[in-house]
Order: sequence, then C-alpha cells, then structure tokens
Amino acid sequence: MSADEPVKTMKTDGTDWTAKIWDFLTSLKLVVFLLLMLSALSIAGTIIQQNKPLQEYYKYYQPGTVVLFNKLGLFDMYHSWWFVACLGLLAMSITACAMDRYRGIMAGMRKRNLILDEKLGKSLPNLTTIKYALPLDTVEKKMLELVGKGLSRKPVVTHAEDGGRHYFFEKGKYSRLAFFLTHLSMLIIFLGAMVGSFFGYKGYVNIFEGETVSQFETRAGQIKKLNFQVKCNTFNAEFYPSGAPMDYRSDLSILQNGKEIIRKTIRVNDPLTFEGVTFYQSSYGTQPDQVTIDIVNRDGSPKGTVTAPFGQKVDIPGVADKMATADYQEHYHLPDGSEGGRAIGLNVYPAKGGPTGLWLLVDHPEYDKQRGGDYYLRVKDLKLKKHTGLQVNKDPGEILVWLGSVMLIAGIMIAFFMSHKKLWISLRTDRKGRSELTIGGTANKNRSAFATETELMIQSLKEVS
Amino acid sequence: MTNSLLFGISTFVYFFAMVLYVAYLAFRSEGLGKAATFSLLGGVVVETAALGMRWYESYAMGIGRAPLTNMYESLAFFAWMIAVLYLVLEKKFKIRTLGAFVAPFPFLIMAYASLNPNDIQPLVPALQSNWLISHVVTCFVGYAAFAVSFVVSILYLFRVRAEKRSPKSAGSFWDFLPSSAGLDEIGYKTIAIGFPLLTIGIVTGAFWANVAWGTYWSWDPKETWSLIVWLIYAAYLHARITRGWRGKRVAILSIVGFAATIFCYLGVNLILSGLHSYGGS
Repeated sequence: MSADEPVKTMKTDGTDWTAKIWDFLTSLKLVVFLLLMLSALSIAGTIIQQNKPLQEYYKYYQPGTVVLFNKLGLFDMYHSWWFVACLGLLAMSITACAMDRYRGIMAGMRKRNLILDEKLGKSLPNLTTIKYALPLDTVEKKMLELVGKGLSRKPVVTHAEDGGRHYFFEKGKYSRLAFFLTHLSMLIIFLGAMVGSFFGYKGYVNIFEGETVSQFETRAGQIKKLNFQVKCNTFNAEFYPSGAPMDYRSDLSILQNGKEIIRKTIRVNDPLTFEGVTFYQSSYGTQPDQVTIDIVNRDGSPKGTVTAPFGQKVDIPGVADKMATADYQEHYHLPDGSEGGRAIGLNVYPAKGGPTGLWLLVDHPEYDKQRGGDYYLRVKDLKLKKHTGLQVNKDPGEILVWLGSVMLIAGIMIAFFMSHKKLWISLRTDRKGRSELTIGGTANKNRSAFATETELMIQSLKEVS
Repeated sequence: MTNSLLFGISTFVYFFAMVLYVAYLAFRSEGLGKAATFSLLGGVVVETAALGMRWYESYAMGIGRAPLTNMYESLAFFAWMIAVLYLVLEKKFKIRTLGAFVAPFPFLIMAYASLNPNDIQPLVPALQSNWLISHVVTCFVGYAAFAVSFVVSILYLFRVRAEKRSPKSAGSFWDFLPSSAGLDEIGYKTIAIGFPLLTIGIVTGAFWANVAWGTYWSWDPKETWSLIVWLIYAAYLHARITRGWRGKRVAILSIVGFAATIFCYLGVNLILSGLHSYGGS
C-alpha cells in the first residue's frame, strides 16, 4: 500500500439491503451509465423537435407513433418524469459518492506518518540516502533552505528516540478538496434550476410607445401583477444597409407611485433588472393607431372622410353601411403574388346581409375601385404606433447556478492542475560520524512530474558541501 | 482583401507542412522534421496575421468585430487552434512523428473553410457582446484539444494492436510512434486541457444566453449537444481517474467524444437547424 492511498471508508459486505443500495449509488458503473444515458436521451431530444403543438407532429409521424411518443413524454423530454428521474438519480449518486469519499479525503489531508521509518520508506518510489562529511546542523540548515523553496517552508519536525530528526513537508493539501468543489457544484446547479422553476417565472409583454404596464402574462398562462409600472418611452430599431438588424433599443422607465425610479435604454445584450425582475429586449412590432379613410363616389367625387381609432366600428357617411378596420400588414401580397406594400384589412357591414372583408392598399389608393359598387374606399392617412416586446423573468435560483458554475470551473482546474505533494526527510548521524540524509516523497496526482521535481531536489541536495 | 490573401497563403503553408511531416515520417531525417515543424509554425504565423488583418479590416469597414462569428471564421480559428495546440504538445512530449496525422487537419479545415462565404458581415444584435470572444475562444480550444486527443487515440488503437502481435520484436510499422502507454498518457493530457475549457465555454455561453435572451439554458440543439460532449468526456474522466481505466476502452470513449464534438460544431448547424430533422416516417 502506498503512503498516499486514501482510506476506503464505509466498506460494506453487500449483504444487507441498505448496504446494497449504498454500493449501487456509489458504483462507478451507475455514474458512467447515467452520464451516457443522459447523453443518449439528449440526442433523442435534439432529433425529435421539442414542445411543438401536437397537431404538427402528425405531419411527420404515423398517428400511432404520435400517441405513443406523447405518452412517453418524448415531445417535452427534458421535463418528462423519467428524464428528471435520471437527473435525480445522478444527484443521489453524487451525494452518496461525496459522503463515501469524505473520510478518505479528510484522512489524506491529515498529517499521518510524520516519521520516515523503514515501512514508509519502502512505499516511496524514489527513496534516496545521501551522506555528508558535514555536521548535522549545517546539513539541516542547507536542507531547509533548499527544500523549503518548493514545498512548505515550515516542515513538521519530529525528534525520534534513536536521535534521528524527521521532517515532513507538504504542498497543495487543500487541492484534495477539489473533489467536493466539482461534485457539490453539480448539486448546487441542480438546486438553482429547481429554485428557478418553482419560485421563478418567465413571461412576455408588449408595451406601446408612451404606454405603461403593471402586469403581464407568464408562459404558464398566469397574470402576474408587478408592484411597479414599466413605461416604454420610445422604441427604435436600426438596420444595416443590407437590411440585417443592427440594434433594437427600448427606452424604459420604472415607475412607483407615479414617480420615476429608474430610466434605462435596454438593448439585446443589456437588460434592465428591478426588484429581481428582469426585462429583456425580445421583439418589436408596429400596429396602426388611427386610420383616416376617404369615401369616394364612382365618378371620383368625395362623399366624406372618417377618422377613427384602429378597430373601431364606424358609420360610413352617406350610406347605411358601417365599417371597422381589423388587420394591418406591412408587406401585403397581391393575388398575383406581387408585393402590395402596406395594407389595411377592413370589414364592411352592409345594412342588410353579412359583412365583407376587403384590403385597402395604403400606397395604391385606387385599389378598392376594382371591387365595384356605388362607392369605394381609400386610405388617406395612417398613423402607426410601435411597441416593444419584452421578455420578463424572475429567477431567484440563478445566483445558485452561477455559484455552482464558478465552483465547478475552479474544482476542475484544481483537480487537473494541482496535486497534494508530500515529502519526508530524515537526518541522523551514522556510526562513522557522518551526517546521513534520507529523502522520499509522493504525490496524489501527476506522479511523474513530481518524481522529476524530487529528482532535481535530490541532485541539489547531493551538491551541498 | 488582404485577409483573404493571407488565409490563402496560410492554407498553402499548412499543406506544405503536412507534406513535410509525412516525408519526415517516411525518411526520418532530423532536417526534414525541423523543416516540418517550422513550416507548421510558419502557417500559424501567417494565419495569425490573417486573423489580425481580418479584425483590423472589419474596423476599417466600420463594423469592428472579432473574426469569430460565422462558419468561415470559426473554421479558420479551429484550424489555427489545432496547429497551435499541436506545436505546444510536440515541444512538450517530443512527438514529431504524430505530425503526419495532425498536420492534415489545419490544411483540410482551411480548405473546407474556403468553400464558405468569407465576406465580413456586421453583427446582429444578439452577437454584439463582450462575451463573444471568451465564449468562442474557450469552446474552440476545447474542440481543438479533443481533435488532437482523437488522433492520438486512434493511433493508440493501432499501436496497441501492433504491440500485442509482436510484444518485443521491433520492426512493426507502428514502431515510429511513442509507446502505447505514452500515447494513452498524451491522449489523457489533451483531454485534461480540453475539458476545463469546454466547461468554461458552456458556462460563459449560458451566462451570455441569460443576458441576451433571459434564459441560461433552453435545451436548444447547440446547447444540448455541447452538454452531450461534456457528459461523454466526464464519463471518460470518471472511468479513468476513479477506476483507473486505461487503454482501449478510454481511447474509444475519446473517439466517441470527438465524433460528438464534430456533430455539436458542424452537424447541428448543417443538419438540425437547416433541415428540421424530424426523424419521422
């Protein structure tokens, strides 16, 4: 057994059922199986598109397959009970492994074997003895100078009964804790995700320029009331000459009791957070605000003009019909497929009979003439209003996710690039009165690098005179 | 533009380096070996200039962004990163004979990159972030390390078979390689570089997604595949560190890991988002 082997704890004989469960949870087979299983499931989740409306799947699969897949939760796989169960089992396995390894890791950090005796010496791969014609104290002084540079400056010194002096040096003791950093970080990330899904929400809200909202709808379909108001002062979209989007900006104000608390222009990578609720620039749109329509006789003489807010049903002057604007398109496609530009969708309600729908092209005012009838309509003026589309989030678990992430990265770095090095030196005077130095060491990781390091140290110790 | 010209020259130099490494493998003259290393280094220098020039030219065009944002640029950076990483490992482990197997990568990747449109486009709002550089660079160092480990693992499989066939006698074709134990160690060391960087890449990506879209994880194909890659290498490390798996089994895991890496990088872009890959009947 090497001087460094961790103490195996909680050794079970595997007969009693709790012991069996424990062995199962701490087995490497389970971990590797879970990691590969989660990978395989995730692959399935990227091949089968997730969270589409059910009817869409019928386009791609046989009806029987859709029913089966739906029952198995394959359409919302990452939230299916069995995917979550795999994650839960992984969390339990991590917890059990952490408990299993706890005593061993702590034992590895303890200062055991302070004396370089024969038994310890045999377990060290590079044990070397050097003899000097110098007094013991001189050798000690030089040795402490040399070895202290690479390892702990203050070794643990033990004076043995036989007159020998024993020195125990170490470095990177706490790197053994990397195991806890990497493994507990995963539990913290899971916890953060759970806190987020239980106590947080995600929602969406459109705010027109100049308007204020104080509630919004979450993805789960609930209405959330905020104890403050959000006002969109202005929204601006900028485009590159190629037409690709360059920048989306919403100038937002947070109001409480009618007073402005914060004002900030948010952009796609620069959201606004207030009282734990974050507003992200997500989309935008335009809607007609007010429409002015001319009513024109067939001969071209004006019959009248109506101005009305979008969507409102109004009388058409000079006739018994009513009309209401109902739709707006920025790029209307004419029946022949060509681009018609901006268009207002309108319903005409005649005095008798059902309504008819028609399109008025803003940039082709005489377009409605082709419909026939006593009069036609044309858009005289169109006032648009812009809205910004904001994603609204509250995630109290987020901070845990970042804490876990930082621990994970730190833990991996320490685990790969640091090791716990131990070095023993003993000094004694041999029978012929010479000073005798014995040195040997070990590391818990990257042993070949440590061996080279020790070799160099031994070389310089040999050169002491 | 100057950057395209420089990228073209670097592709050519990488080709030259590849030929020299193969020649070194065949003739084993120290001079050829040095020439191979120097020409790969030359390719790296020219490509570094190309990347810098492209960055500079984007500023001259009034766009001003790091050259890491489309397929062409990411491939070029991937090729660069593999060459740099290999040169470092070659120096550290004295493994010049591996060059014949690694050096084709920068050349082939650059050749493939040249098939993609290479004009400098301005960035859409979501990509205008300081997280861009740290996220892309860490991910690609990870990818490059996995690529090198992949090559080493494949060579390991050949080497170990040759060693089994004739345990003592020299004269096997694969004798030019380091011992199978050495290859195993190099394969592990490169993953030990790649895994922390992939982890940082995923975390910075999650953090950025949270700032840009308000969600740190949305199970989109790219995210999911990066997690798959991470899980495979995590399995590799657990098998190796905790239970001391060595050799064939971990070499195969490393090969599978790189296959997943390539799918995460190219497959997701080319297949999943492009064609809506419903696997239906």
